[in-house]
Amino acid sequence: MNIGFGFSQAKDHIQATNDAICQAMINLGRSHVHLAIVFTTIEFAHPLVFTTAHNLLGEIPMVGCSSLGIFTNKGIFKHGFAILLISLGEQMFFNIAAVKEVNKKTALVAGREMGEKLLYGCKEVRRSLSIIFSDGLISEGTNLIRGLQENLGRSFPLIGASASDNFVFQKTFQYYNKEMLSESCCGVLFGGRLNFGLGIKHGWKPLGKIRSVTRSSGNVVHEIDGKPAVKLYEDYFAKDSLELAKELRRISIFYPIGVYLPGEKEYLLRNIISIKDDGSLITQGDVPAESKIRLMIGTKDSCLAAAVSSCAEAKKNLGLQKIKFVMVFDSASRFTLLGRQHLRELEVIKEAFGKDTPLIGIYTYGEQAPLKSISYLGQSYFHNQSINILAVGE
Amino acid sequence: MGTLGIALFYKMQQNKELRNRMDSLNTSLEEMDEQAKLIMRTDMELNKTQEELDKKISGLNTLQKLSRDVSTTFEEKQIFKKINNEYLEELGFEKSLAFLWNDLEKRFGLFLSLGYNESEIVKIKNTVEADKMSYLNLIHTGKTASSVFIPEDFLPADKIYGLFLVHAFIICPIVPQEGNQGFIFVGTQNTESRITDGDRELITILANQIGQTLDNARLFEKIWRSQQELEIKVEERTRQLSQALEEVSKLSRRKSEFISSVSHELRTPLTSIKGYAAILLAGKLGAVPDEIRERLSKINRHSDELVHMVNDLLDISRIESGKVDMRLESLELSSLVDKVADMLGEQMKTKNIVFSSNVPAECQRILADRSQMERVFTNLLGNALKFTPENGKISVNARLVNNLIQVDVSDTGFGIPEEDRENIFEEFYRVDNMINQEVKGTGLGLTLVRKIIEAHQGRIWVKSKLGEGSTFSFTLKKIEGNGSGNAG
Repeated sequence: MNIGFGFSQAKDHIQATNDAICQAMINLGRSHVHLAIVFTTIEFAHPLVFTTAHNLLGEIPMVGCSSLGIFTNKGIFKHGFAILLISLGEQMFFNIAAVKEVNKKTALVAGREMGEKLLYGCKEVRRSLSIIFSDGLISEGTNLIRGLQENLGRSFPLIGASASDNFVFQKTFQYYNKEMLSESCCGVLFGGRLNFGLGIKHGWKPLGKIRSVTRSSGNVVHEIDGKPAVKLYEDYFAKDSLELAKELRRISIFYPIGVYLPGEKEYLLRNIISIKDDGSLITQGDVPAESKIRLMIGTKDSCLAAAVSSCAEAKKNLGLQKIKFVMVFDSASRFTLLGRQHLRELEVIKEAFGKDTPLIGIYTYGEQAPLKSISYLGQSYFHNQSINILAVGE
Repeated sequence: MGTLGIALFYKMQQNKELRNRMDSLNTSLEEMDEQAKLIMRTDMELNKTQEELDKKISGLNTLQKLSRDVSTTFEEKQIFKKINNEYLEELGFEKSLAFLWNDLEKRFGLFLSLGYNESEIVKIKNTVEADKMSYLNLIHTGKTASSVFIPEDFLPADKIYGLFLVHAFIICPIVPQEGNQGFIFVGTQNTESRITDGDRELITILANQIGQTLDNARLFEKIWRSQQELEIKVEERTRQLSQALEEVSKLSRRKSEFISSVSHELRTPLTSIKGYAAILLAGKLGAVPDEIRERLSKINRHSDELVHMVNDLLDISRIESGKVDMRLESLELSSLVDKVADMLGEQMKTKNIVFSSNVPAECQRILADRSQMERVFTNLLGNALKFTPENGKISVNARLVNNLIQVDVSDTGFGIPEEDRENIFEEFYRVDNMINQEVKGTGLGLTLVRKIIEAHQGRIWVKSKLGEGSTFSFTLKKIEGNGSGNAG
């Protein structure tokens, strides 16, 4: 496998696209390009950008999404266009797919459709990994994974990013060949000998009593311990629901709900999106009824420590393979929590993989990854606030 | 039965103990949960403080860079160009506008726009124009509006959200001390963002900085314009003066030429007149009766005066036109003085005037033209003698001043009125006094003296007190030992 990475933050979008692609092609050398992964900040989500990319690259399969920031080993950029050109080895193959109108079809149906499309022509071969990019504003992210897993298998390594915008929460974009999609899902399925290591951590720790979700449906938690769900936050923060609503996003980032999953090492985090009039909490990702939950607390230090662990885990999982590139899906909430120290995460990653290792990544509104990644057999979940590291080897 | 009873008793005891332990555990758990709540609340406050502190530090850092850029600008429009997307993002915003009120056109002018497209800008400009009274009122009161605080009488927050397409905003008046005032708007679509006191303080500082820089720019503009006007005026005046100087030079040249030619023309017939008068007086053409002799003597004397005047005029015009070469040589000052004093000795004796001279050794050697310097002393001492009453004093003193020899010729004469002092060195100027009415003079002596001194790169001036006397002072170059040269 060979790769070529290019990035530009030129103000002229066409110029930036041109610069980044040329840079990536030079870095790739003479190898044949099989696949392109593209990340852009939101202002680069423009049809002309993709027409330019298509004109330069030709009919090369392309997937990717928008984000509020792009990771490279030169920094984290709030404006720019990044592209990773991949030339696969002989015993490797891939397939790309996209599903539109996820909300209309329901996330579960769209997930199933996505799974089917990704498997098209690949059912008889050994599948390695799937990378999915979905709209970060889809409310039923969990069902999308569920639908995918119905076709790809529950323990199949699946890593995904929910596209983000500039914290406006209005529109995110998914890139599929030269199309710019929204409310969609696109991705790639790799097969054959793909060596990789995954690391997923968030760094939040449980605090307070274990509580039970007594009534919930999907991503709406109605009651906790038989009381309206909002009571949990009202008690802990001594605020009524009106006051809470004003600071909900912030409180939710710092103190999300942690769902205990038997057999998993970390709690599954759930951000609160809003409070309903009846005191129900709408979460980003589902919280099954009878789940054991706790309020979680995170600090900058625990966040950075999780980034270190995540890198270490990815490296460990890759084994002795030489690293070709690192892909990072980092929760936008972590950007908010770390504030001025957000670059420390990049430093941690570079310290772990070497400062010159090609690095590409984005901030996400949700992450999809297996929890028990050590064994590769862990089931993929919809995460909030985690940092996911994918290290790809020779 | 007894055994069963004992077993039941023990079981009940165990249950009771377990219940107690459970209660105790529950109490501990509840207590721990209460502690957890305290930890969460404290942590939340700490996070808020930390977040605000982080924001302030990065905001101040950005503000410092921005202020440095802005404050070094002296052009109104350039000031706003310094505020770019990078700075704005570092302050936590991505949209910004700045309007300044144009008092002549009675409307707001847009000076800065970041994060908006053309059609959005047109809409915003029109709406701001329609609501201009609200914005002017905000500027007038000097209050800052933001998504957390809207002053009374200002527009509702929803209207601002809708117009400026933001989730959070700050509108801060820009109030320079002079000239047009305005306001700066900053906003963000980021739904995570919330405006804090720190944000408001930072944008207020920025607006104040802009206001001060606008003042500086306007002051600079004013000074620059004044300077330009002054330069134009100076240039114009210099041109006029050059023209006038040229004109004066022309006139002076013409005057010298005129004097020179007239003097030459006068001297020829004068020589004849004087010659014939002398012949007649000598009686070579026959005896001359006394009445005629007396008249002839007058003709002879007046002819001498006229010749003297014509010679002076010729010398002045020659010196002015540079036609006279100063034959500079090393002279002994005291000898010069003594020689002239000797010439006038008889007249001094007649008026019983005490003459004294004091030339110290360090002032003895001067670099000058002998015959011209003799004329200088002859004129000055002659004047002193003329205007000093009987029993008076005349002195010549020399001293070193700033490595130049200053010669003072003093008398105890009538003195020169203040209003005449400026003019006595001008041609034909004569002080209106009793002596001058009685004693004839050309009014050219001091002019000639000045010309000669100036031709020696010296200067001459007079100090005088009416009734006490006058001192004419002039400077000469000093030399060490013997030497000679040519002043051209």
